[in-house]
Amino acid sequence: MPYVPNTDRDREEMLREIGVGSVEELFAAVPKGLRESVELDVPGPLSEAELVRHMKRLASMNRTTDDVVSFLGGGVYDHTVPAVVRYVMGMPQFYTAYTPYQAEASQGTLQSIYEFQSLICRLTGLGVANASMYDGASAAAEACLMALAITRRNKILVAGTAGPSLRAVVATYLEASDIEIVELPETCGVTDVSAVDAHLEGAAVLLVQHPNFFGLLEPVDELSVKCADAGVLLVASVDPLSLAVLKPPSDYGAAIAVGEGQSLGSPVGYGGPLLGFMAADKKYLRRMPGRIIGATTDTMGRRGFVMTLQTREQHIRRAKATSNICTNEGLVALGAAVHLSLLGKNGFRELALQVTSKAHYAALALSAVAGVDLRFEGPFFREFVIDLSVPARRVKEELGRVGIWPGISCGCYYDGMENSLLVSVTERHTREDIDSLASGLEAVISPGGSS
Amino acid sequence: MSDPRKNGQTVEPTVFELSHPGRSGYRLPALDVPPADLAEVLGASNLRSTPPELPELSEPEVVRHFTRLAEMNFHVDRAMYPLGSCTMKYNPRINEEMAGLPGFTGVHPETTAAECQGAISLIYNLGRMLAEISGMDHVSIQPPAGASGELAGMLMVRAYQADQGNPRSKVIVPDTAHGTNPASLTLAGYEAVEIPSGPDGRIDVQVLAAAVDEETAAFMITNPNTLGVFESRIADIAEIVHGVGGLLYLDGANLNASLGVVRPGDAGFDVMHFNLHKTFATPHGGGGPGSGPVGVKSLLADYLPCPVARRDERKALGFEYDFDYDRPKSIGKVHAVYGNFLVAVKAYAYILTLGPQGLRRVAENAVLNANYLQKKLEPFFELPFPGLCQHEFVLSASRQKEQGVRALDVAKRLLDYGLHSPTVYFPLVVKEALMIEPTETESRASLDRFVDVMKAIAEESASSPELVTGAPTGTPVSRLDESLAAKELDVAWGKT
Ligand SMILES: Cc1ncc(COP(=O)(O)O)c(C=O)c1O
Repeated sequence: MPYVPNTDRDREEMLREIGVGSVEELFAAVPKGLRESVELDVPGPLSEAELVRHMKRLASMNRTTDDVVSFLGGGVYDHTVPAVVRYVMGMPQFYTAYTPYQAEASQGTLQSIYEFQSLICRLTGLGVANASMYDGASAAAEACLMALAITRRNKILVAGTAGPSLRAVVATYLEASDIEIVELPETCGVTDVSAVDAHLEGAAVLLVQHPNFFGLLEPVDELSVKCADAGVLLVASVDPLSLAVLKPPSDYGAAIAVGEGQSLGSPVGYGGPLLGFMAADKKYLRRMPGRIIGATTDTMGRRGFVMTLQTREQHIRRAKATSNICTNEGLVALGAAVHLSLLGKNGFRELALQVTSKAHYAALALSAVAGVDLRFEGPFFREFVIDLSVPARRVKEELGRVGIWPGISCGCYYDGMENSLLVSVTERHTREDIDSLASGLEAVISPGGSS
Repeated sequence: MSDPRKNGQTVEPTVFELSHPGRSGYRLPALDVPPADLAEVLGASNLRSTPPELPELSEPEVVRHFTRLAEMNFHVDRAMYPLGSCTMKYNPRINEEMAGLPGFTGVHPETTAAECQGAISLIYNLGRMLAEISGMDHVSIQPPAGASGELAGMLMVRAYQADQGNPRSKVIVPDTAHGTNPASLTLAGYEAVEIPSGPDGRIDVQVLAAAVDEETAAFMITNPNTLGVFESRIADIAEIVHGVGGLLYLDGANLNASLGVVRPGDAGFDVMHFNLHKTFATPHGGGGPGSGPVGVKSLLADYLPCPVARRDERKALGFEYDFDYDRPKSIGKVHAVYGNFLVAVKAYAYILTLGPQGLRRVAENAVLNANYLQKKLEPFFELPFPGLCQHEFVLSASRQKEQGVRALDVAKRLLDYGLHSPTVYFPLVVKEALMIEPTETESRASLDRFVDVMKAIAEESASSPELVTGAPTGTPVSRLDESLAAKELDVAWGKT
């Protein structure tokens, strides 16, 4: 057993010191009947060489975004992860440390998370941020809980254009409460502003994803005005990369901004770990869930960092805590801080510009194909929906055979969209990739094509 | 008044202070399509007027900054990290390497099942292995941490009870429970009813019997509990809870003590969560990512988080593994995708490396190490619950308190000796608690070193307490002022 240093001789000596005759005796408190029957049927033990062979075989049974030209997105995006991000996340000083309970011996974690919070504040324009949440979906759910507690109301409004998984997680978090969840209808792919009025009364929160699941920019200014008039807190679920160019949630009066930070330095990784972030107006700091890092000084007047306002948290407040979260996504938040620091002010903006440019180039190229139309007219950021003259499923299958994954079938998530694909573009796509998608679609869809 | 936090002495400047206009640490490929006119394609009113004030640094500066920060961290690769309840064991390097295989990191979650059989089979088979290890029937790896597993588990309890006719209103927890337990069950719509532990630190079966009634949806316990003792009367406990139609929930944070020794499913538990970032050696990452799979007996299978990984050996669809989304009774999703997959990869590799005997050796040595330490430390610190322990035990610094030294001071002084402190002030039932969990990956020499240091600190507490209360002095910063942090809140750098 490579991970256990004790030898048989150590064990014997230690047992003698303890004053028991056998290891079995140490388990005397476990009822004998429970102890005696256990004979685990799990595979192993494997040597390192055997393990590697097995794992590589499993890995080889997966097609990755490197093996094909993939336009899959919908919340998890295939950006280049700079080597430096992986390098820092791979430092054992960071990844083999626990939550920074002993601040004086955890300044590396604490300061980097303080920097993460600061970066999130700069992106969102809001005054305070926490140390991370599990993912963008649970961050949105927690924001709703927070808004419910602040307003003491018992209804939430969720834009139907918010991602299906985000809405699903919000529903799970509220399942046990008697909170009414109203799903706001859409028009032209974005929240129907005129339909909002009917639901505002008594609502704690309006949760909107901007850009939304279809990639479209939501009418946040109008929603904001409506919320403000009705005392409803606006919660914006935002794509952090979009904030390099789009106005920050603070500009449109969002009380809380949340989002999925996977695109800040994480691989697609079959969807996890992800990175939830949450920022809020300063006046709501004490209502926030999760850990918060604050600056302070040591006995010699030097700056240092600690976990602060812990009286909000479960280990102190228990049943009355603002949230049940304990472990968060610390290392992923560190990766995001490294990523943002590395790209910096200009690099991050350039990245957003590239993504926007390529997405719009792609939309033009694809909609030029006969039988392919842009479904929505509104402005979009990194992804967009196309309607096909044939079922999306079939197109995906046929293009998959030539190594192109054209996007997500919207029909999996929205009724009546069986012919629609959500096409997502990052800086990793070359013009050639996009052109190959266009010609591939043409071949599959056009009457003279392979169908 | 100038704020010393902004312009006083610093050990390492923030990344913002290191910023220098015009620098950048990364080069993007040249744009090979026409650049978009942002105002035109996004709408001028949607744009921000100035770019976010991100720092500007070159790559070497970024690497240096984070390397210097890293050097200020204590971590388990360096020395013993005996945080009770946290299971700070060694994180095998090979598992990191396996989770970094491009065939795992590069899989998009929307990939069709046929194209990612490796990933789904890993999720499915990890679930099977965890089920076998725990004696549960089904396991979902979707919850991304322990507390999320608790929420999922409690929502399943609720759905089950509702299907029996009444969701019920209360969940009982012992006073030794971890804070996430009452917080999670509250989120699941229950009222937390706390019962006091008996004099031996175990659940008082009579107290429990008096506390349960038809409104009791579940009893949520940790076993071994947070005092490190096994609930020997688990059969009685299960009978009492089941007797009123309640379910028995296990917080599996302490499963390390049970691997290959006892299976919670055999002991009457109906639902539990695991902490892969404790028991199964996946790193804590300075606070996450973790993974908190939730396991259930068959009676709760319908309620598992959606989707559920499944296997069809006959490959009716042309492949063996896929996800079942048709789960009408499911509690829904607790994670946006399938959970922390890359963490699951590490736990899977860990179980395969250990095999059945290896797992048992983990538990045996974790318990051996804890008992050895307990025995050796008993002369110097009060042991409120004497007797053999499981994987951890709790001391009290009450004697030292009389000398003016608190548990917190002991914790800080340990840092000066190059060791990490135990968990302090938890569980709440022990005053001045020092909760110690050495884990199986510490050698006897490292346990002896810890004993020597604890002994030295006990002596210092008697002879020169100011050494202890003034600690730490050997860390990058000395004792930090937590009340200043809470009073003059500074949680983000500069003006936003
Ligand atoms: C006993 C116990 N229960 C629950 C938890 C919560 O687990 P997590 O931090 O993964 O949410 C912990 C860990 O902190 C624990 O020690």
